[in-house]
Amino acid sequence: MRRIVPIGAALIAAAALVTFPTWSSGWESSRYATTILRDMLVLAILALSLDLLVGSAGLPSLGHAAFFGGGGYAAAIAAQRLANDDLLLGLGAAALVAAFLALVIGVFAVRAAGIFFLMLTLAFAQMVFALAFQATDITGGSNGLSGVHRPTLLGLDFNAPDALFQLVAAVFLIVVALMWRIRSSTYGRALVGLRENERRMRALGYDTTRLKLSAFVLAGAIAGVGGALSGWSLRFVSTNDVGVARSVEAFVAVLIGGTSTLLGPVVGAFVVLYLERVLPSAIPFAETVLGVVFIVFVLAARQGIVGLARTAYERVRT
Amino acid sequence: MIETRDLRREFGGITALAGVSLTVADGERRAIIGPNGAGKTTLFNILTGELEPTSGEVSIAGEDVTRRRPHELARRGLARMYQRNELFDPLSARENVALAVGAVTGPYRPFTSPPARDLDAADALLDRVGLTDRRGALAKVLSHGERRQLELALALAQRPRLLLLDEPTAGMSPAETARITELIDSLDRALTIVIVEHDMDVVFRLAERITVLHEGRIIAEGTPAEVRADTQVNEVYLGKVVA
Repeated sequence: MRRIVPIGAALIAAAALVTFPTWSSGWESSRYATTILRDMLVLAILALSLDLLVGSAGLPSLGHAAFFGGGGYAAAIAAQRLANDDLLLGLGAAALVAAFLALVIGVFAVRAAGIFFLMLTLAFAQMVFALAFQATDITGGSNGLSGVHRPTLLGLDFNAPDALFQLVAAVFLIVVALMWRIRSSTYGRALVGLRENERRMRALGYDTTRLKLSAFVLAGAIAGVGGALSGWSLRFVSTNDVGVARSVEAFVAVLIGGTSTLLGPVVGAFVVLYLERVLPSAIPFAETVLGVVFIVFVLAARQGIVGLARTAYERVRT
Repeated sequence: MIETRDLRREFGGITALAGVSLTVADGERRAIIGPNGAGKTTLFNILTGELEPTSGEVSIAGEDVTRRRPHELARRGLARMYQRNELFDPLSARENVALAVGAVTGPYRPFTSPPARDLDAADALLDRVGLTDRRGALAKVLSHGERRQLELALALAQRPRLLLLDEPTAGMSPAETARITELIDSLDRALTIVIVEHDMDVVFRLAERITVLHEGRIIAEGTPAEVRADTQVNEVYLGKVVA
């Protein structure tokens, strides 16, 4: 019973999410809400993958957009060059290219720790940005790649907005399930050990460099999948997707939501996108609100929204 | 079991080790003593691979392991207990030990939880060091003495052939000291143990042979009785402690 209730609640929530376009169709702003929610889910995938590094393993990466954008480009270019809009081809290309990029960057970056790791990931991501900007023949340079085809799978066409939303929601749920599983696994625990005491991990016989690299590549591959979904959502991939602003957006989402929890990065992504996309139409100077919110969280609430909620809940219960 | 040849280590212009040659036999229990700054911790950090020697060699079971990295030495059967506790603070005592047990099989199982036998092994080790009642407690809330016991459980979880103990009784109450000394004394006689310790009662209780380090050099080596009788040792170290 104690297991069935949460599992049942999770299944209902998942079903509600995937069917959002259907049950919200009566709303006046259903189409708009679906679009915003879709983009929130894409950012949440990026934030969840980043939290594997920032939260679990204690690796503060500020270059995660390199893999997000790399995946976005890979899916769009593969479909275009091979004249094939197959979903699995797109996702596969995105994950592989992003993983490869993460491997190359990670080999150097994981040798550093703390602020140096952060600066290295930022510097490498800027190199990827410069490459994307200059390789006009492949990436479209500053124009980006527009008119990206949305994928198909076995006769299913994800071109319609609702179908695409369902695809994004389904992938998001798979990523959440994957992260949930990793968190409680032997591997997830080893990553936490890395964060808490790398020296002791080495003394216990763990090859910590390889362990960090594996997490970096895994997080990169998942970010790449997020990038492919972003390209399909917007029908557009550009240097914005590999830029530092996107990396910061994901990092802020993780910190505001709360690191090292499953819900934190998701809540954080929702808050960030709400402040960026919905609030500006309601109040002036909304762009500065995100900055203020971020500062408040860093100064006063490092555990993030989910951490705060948990503390409050425990206080009420006792 | 472990052998060093002419180990030297300099930090800037300061010589911490000035040529240390040490041979510890299989199953031997060896204490390394000496005043502060004698080079004991430097020697330990070189033996565990955390520090590279400026020159000299280290071998374990006949294999040259100089400049091997710590995790490679750990896989060759070397475990250490740190002078200052190096634990995983936000994890429970049981999870701490499970991480050490899991190191043998490696971390690359992203979809499976720690197998029951790993947790059973962790529980058995916690029982061995007397922490069964505290296995659910987070490492950070344990008392200093309990943390030392947990340190020992982590080291034992690696199933070592060679155990290096860096001041196992540091900062402990007399009762805690007696307890951990008893615990170390009761370990498998096949296990080679090298111990750095300031408490002479503990040293004379545990060690079969004693090496005395002073200013980066070995100034005496022998059985406890021989070392106790050595006038030079009394001058630089024992005299001060006893007096």
